[in-house]
Parts: sequence; C-alpha cells; structure tokens
Amino acid sequence: MIIMKSLYLIILSFFSFLLLHQCTSEKKTVYVIPDHVTPRNRQLLTEKAEKGRVLYKLHCSECHGIFTKGKDGVPNFTQTQIDNYHAAALMGIDPRNHAVAKKMSAEQVDQVITFLSLRKRD
Amino acid sequence: MLRLIRSSDLTKPDDLEKIREKIAANRIQLKSIDFWLRYFDPISYRKENGPLPVEWETEVFEKFEMPYRRKGAGLSLAEKYMDERESLNKDSLSQLIQTSIDSLVMFKRDSVMMQFASPDHFFLANRLYLLNLAAVYTTGFECPDTSRIIPELRSLLPAVRNIYDQFATDFPSTPLSKNYLELYDRMLAFVNSQPKQFSLFDQFTLIRDYINPLFKHNQQFIRNYNVLSISFNDYALNNETSSIFDKSLFISQNTKGIFSLVDDPAALGEVKRVGKLLFYDPILSGNNKRSCASCHKPTEYFTDTSVATALQFEGGGHLPRNAPSLINSVFNHLIMLDGKHISLQGQAQDVMTKHEEMNSNEEELVKKVLTCKEYRDVFKKLLKLTPEEKNISFGHIISAITYYYADFSYYYSPFDRAMNENGGVSNEVKQGFNLFMSKAQCGTCHFVPHFNGIKPPYIGSEFEVLGVPADTAYSRLSDDKGRYDANPASETLHAFRTSTVRNIEFTKPYMHNGVFRTLDQVIDFYDAGGGAGKKLDVPNQTLASDPLKLSSPEKGALISFLHSLNENVIFEAPPSSLPVSSDKSLNARKVGGEY
Repeated sequence: MIIMKSLYLIILSFFSFLLLHQCTSEKKTVYVIPDHVTPRNRQLLTEKAEKGRVLYKLHCSECHGIFTKGKDGVPNFTQTQIDNYHAAALMGIDPRNHAVAKKMSAEQVDQVITFLSLRKRD
Repeated sequence: MLRLIRSSDLTKPDDLEKIREKIAANRIQLKSIDFWLRYFDPISYRKENGPLPVEWETEVFEKFEMPYRRKGAGLSLAEKYMDERESLNKDSLSQLIQTSIDSLVMFKRDSVMMQFASPDHFFLANRLYLLNLAAVYTTGFECPDTSRIIPELRSLLPAVRNIYDQFATDFPSTPLSKNYLELYDRMLAFVNSQPKQFSLFDQFTLIRDYINPLFKHNQQFIRNYNVLSISFNDYALNNETSSIFDKSLFISQNTKGIFSLVDDPAALGEVKRVGKLLFYDPILSGNNKRSCASCHKPTEYFTDTSVATALQFEGGGHLPRNAPSLINSVFNHLIMLDGKHISLQGQAQDVMTKHEEMNSNEEELVKKVLTCKEYRDVFKKLLKLTPEEKNISFGHIISAITYYYADFSYYYSPFDRAMNENGGVSNEVKQGFNLFMSKAQCGTCHFVPHFNGIKPPYIGSEFEVLGVPADTAYSRLSDDKGRYDANPASETLHAFRTSTVRNIEFTKPYMHNGVFRTLDQVIDFYDAGGGAGKKLDVPNQTLASDPLKLSSPEKGALISFLHSLNENVIFEAPPSSLPVSSDKSLNARKVGGEY
C-alpha cells in the first residue's frame, strides 16, 4: 500500500514537472547580429536586447503580442516601423497611446528598440 | 526689395535709409504670419529672420545625433550687415534676402499645409506664440534696431487677433473663449498705452497680468479639446501647467534614470534616502576621501562659494572650472558648461570616474558600495523594481543620487510667486526686471522663466561667447575653449552654456572660471560689452561689444531684481553617519568626505 502510494506520488510529480516545464519555459529569443560585430560588442548588444525583452514583456506585450508557452508572439514589425516609433518615442509624440514610452528613460527606450530590431523575425 | 538694392548706391546714406525702411516694412509683414512660421518650421524660420549668421543647433535631438550647423539669413541679418560699412556690398546683401525668399517655399510643402486641416496646431502654435511673447519678442532678441521693438509688437498683436478671427470662422466647434479674447483685447490696449521706448515699457505687468493668464487659458483649451501634437516643438512642454513660472512647464532631464518606471512613493522615498547617503559618502571616490558634497555643498546651494574653481583629486591643484550649483541644473538639456553630457546620470558617471576629480571606476565603486549592509539591503529591494536589470549596477547608484538632489530644484522665489499668484514686488524689482528684459539685454540670453539659456519651446540649450577674462585686470582671455571641446567649430571656441541667474546672490563666484567674486563685477563686465568691450581680442563674441551705458541706479535695480530670484530652498542637515562596511578600512570615512 505504502509502495503504491509512493509510486503514485513519484509518477504524479514527474508529470507535474513535465507540465510545469512546458508552461514556464519560453523559447530563447534568437538575436541576429551582423558578422562584423566584435564578440565584445555582440555580448553588449545581446545584454541590451535582453533588457529590452524584459521591458517589452512587462510594458508592451499586453497590446502588442504575447509571450506564451514555447512561443514568442511579438509582432514582426518592419525596421521602418521600428525606426519611426523610435523617433516618435524620443520626440514624446502620442503620449496618450503610449504613456509608458513617455515615462521610460532614453536608455530603456533604446533597450526595447534594440530588442525589436535584433530579434529574429518569424 | 531686391530691385531696390540693385538700384541703390550703398555709399549714399539716403539710399541706405530707404533699404532700412523697406526691411522694417517687410519685418512687419513677416510678423503677421510669424505665428504659423515659427511653429511649423523653426529651422526654415532662421532663413527668414535668423538672429545669427551661423547657429549650432543644440535641440533635443542632439541628445542622439551630432549637432547641426544652421546658416541664418533674412531681415535681421541684412539689417545688421548694413552697419558694416567697409565690407558692405550689393551681392552679399541681396544674397541674405534672396535666401529668405527661396526658403519661403519650405512653408508651403504638404507636411505643413495638411496641418491646417485640423484645429490642433492652432492651439499649439498659440502656446508657442504666448511663450515667445513673454521671452523673446519684447527683448530685441531678433530685432537689432531697438527703437522698432515696440512698434513691431504693436503690429504683431492685432495681426494675431486676425488669425484668431479666421480660426473662429474655420473651426467653430473648438473656439477660443470669450474670456480669452476679451483679455487679449485688453492686452492690446495695454501695449498701445505703454511708451514706445522699450526700456520704459512695463514688461513685468505685460507678463503677469496678460500673457501668463492667457497662457493658462490656452493650456485649458489644449486639455479640453484633446489637442494632439505631431511636432517636435512640443517635445518638452507639459500640457498640465497653468503658469509659465511653474517649474513643471517643461521637462529637460529625466532625474529618475534607471528608476524611471517606478511610481510607488514608498520605493521612491527609499531611493531618495539612499541617494542622500551616497551624495555625502566618500566611498564613491578612489581614495574614500571625496564625495559629491566636497564640491557641491548641499548647505550652500550645492556649490562651493569659497574657491574660484574646485580642488583636484589628491592635491593636484585646482580644476579649470567653477563647480556649478546643482539647483536648477535639471532645467538644462545639455549638462556641463560645454554641454558635453546629455543626461545628469552621464555627468555623475564622468565625475566619479575621472582621474582629476573622484578617480574611481565603475566596478570597484559598485563593489565598495555593496560592502555596506544598509546599501546592499536597500538596493536588493529596489532591484526587484527594475526587472530588466540582473544585478545592482552603477546605474542604480547614480540614479539614486540624481533623484535625491533634483528635488532641490523645485523651490520658488518671490518673483515667481508674484507671477504665479498675481502678487506684487517692489518698484525697484519691477524696474530691474524691465531693464533685464530691455536696455541691459540680459533677457536676450537668459530667457524667461528660468533665466537660463533655454528659450521657447524649451528644447535646446544655448551657448554664448562672452570673452570672459582670465583675471579681473583683463590682461588676457580665459584660455578655456568651452563648447569647442565638445563640438569643435570656429563659432564654438570659448562658448559656454548660459547658466541660470536664480539664487545668484548665494552662488558666487561667477563665470566658468569663477573670475568674478561680486555681482557688481559681473554687471560691469556686461556693461562694458564683455571681453571685446574691454579691448580683448574676441573675434567670435556673440555678446554685443557696445557699452550698455547703465546708470548706477539702473545697476542697483538690476541687482534688486536678481535678488528677487533667490529661491526659498529648504536645506537639510547632513546625515549623522554613513552606512557601516564589512571592510573595516572603509569605516574611517567622514560624512561629506575630507576635502
């Protein structure tokens, strides 16, 4: 009886582990950085983009794409869209729709833009 | 006009006078559409009526790109050029006018014309117009012939009244209120009742009783009609303020830095508390003997009034420049007198890591700070509020410091209160302000309301070449290259960013090198026409080298006005002790450092 119970527990925990693992793990974002970038700068850019990813998830993804299991559902903005938005955010334009961008420091805006620009699009 | 120039003989005074009159008539015409031109395309406006032959644009975007060189042209420059008898020639004069005619097409492009389809830009242009009315139109900033300033104003105001009438016909659903228009008409009557001589004109009353209340109305229109901007002109301006003399009129620095997205007052209180400790803590320097408070004494308006320029690290003599007051430093887009930094955080980082100043480095500094349990605990808690950051970083430390001292920039002076609450000031202060804005020519560089180098729409910092001497005997020019170090060009050699004159009574010594110890010396310097007026060789001086001829009662009134800009800053006592470190050798450090 006791053996049965522990076996049951082991099996249960194994499945819950599998289940949890699936829910929490996100596909690691791949960044596309041109070949000529030095390893040091590559590392800095990746760190910056990762910061941008965290910010994007917290402050932008509610309206613009979702992060769900195994999928990074960020819209595939074109580089022109990203550049235009960058300029607009720095100019403080459209504060009503993007109050959060107005609140961010220039560095934080830069991190989000770096994330969007470097991330490998589907 | 071009025909007139071609047919004139530039050696004959009569012909010159005719051209001058034509320029004046053209300026009046230009002023009738100034309202739109300045808002829609301030860059092309420099070709119509630019104040300088070459301006280095230090607009907000310089924060992200190299500065632009903008050549000026148009009526003001043509008028100034006509005084240069020796070099005066028809081709150059025609060129200044031709360029301005050619540039007019810029205002007719689609991106400008399509904006007329919505009422939004009217209120935004009107805001810029009211701000310029308070800060620029009455000072002679771009009208070299001072006898024409008030006549031009008298024609400008009714021209804008016509624009208002046209707007009422075109956009009846978003009207200017009756109160607004009545007040505007009263302002017109007031301006017409005032003397024509601009040094006798009562600018104090004009701003307090008319422009500022009109500004308040216009801000309400902007909010109530949900006006939306698509122009960089509105980048810095805040739609919520109701007075030009409210310190939240515009935003020029992000004082929160890495904590930008933190709103929780309790957490921000912690940031501030730890920021204050760090400000006084010499742990930030290489030898643990110097703190921010070493040169920016928080009990002395965050400057050091005892020395001309601050001491160097480890007895290396003195630094080249005077330590500026940190109070009101947040009202600059570019930081330092040469505008080298774009953010307060950048400046803090530089001073801490520079060999001659605090001589530390990022890695060592963060490590040392985190040996103190108190700092470690607070920053660990705060780290959760910046989820994009994995570790406690230099950014957390400097942002806490800037957030702490920025608070001291939000106190008001008796002069602000007079403007904000429709209160009074003494007659002498009022006279001093009117002189500041007219004959003494201070207001052409120290702009309302901060009386620093930021003019409406408050998106860039201005730099000026004054010819500041190395010593009070005026034996030679100060050899500090100023702005040239950050942006080398013939126009920027010896140029410095215009500082505020607020709290000036308590922030001596003056000028970038602290050469003057008294305000009288400073006023005498300007009265003489700066370095060039004192016979120093300053070929690119931007300050007029003609003497101002201020009388001694006039100088007295100016000083009274300056004293009315002393802000009622409430200083705090230094912390009684500093956080204890696990490294015993660090626990000998003194609050505020040793020198």
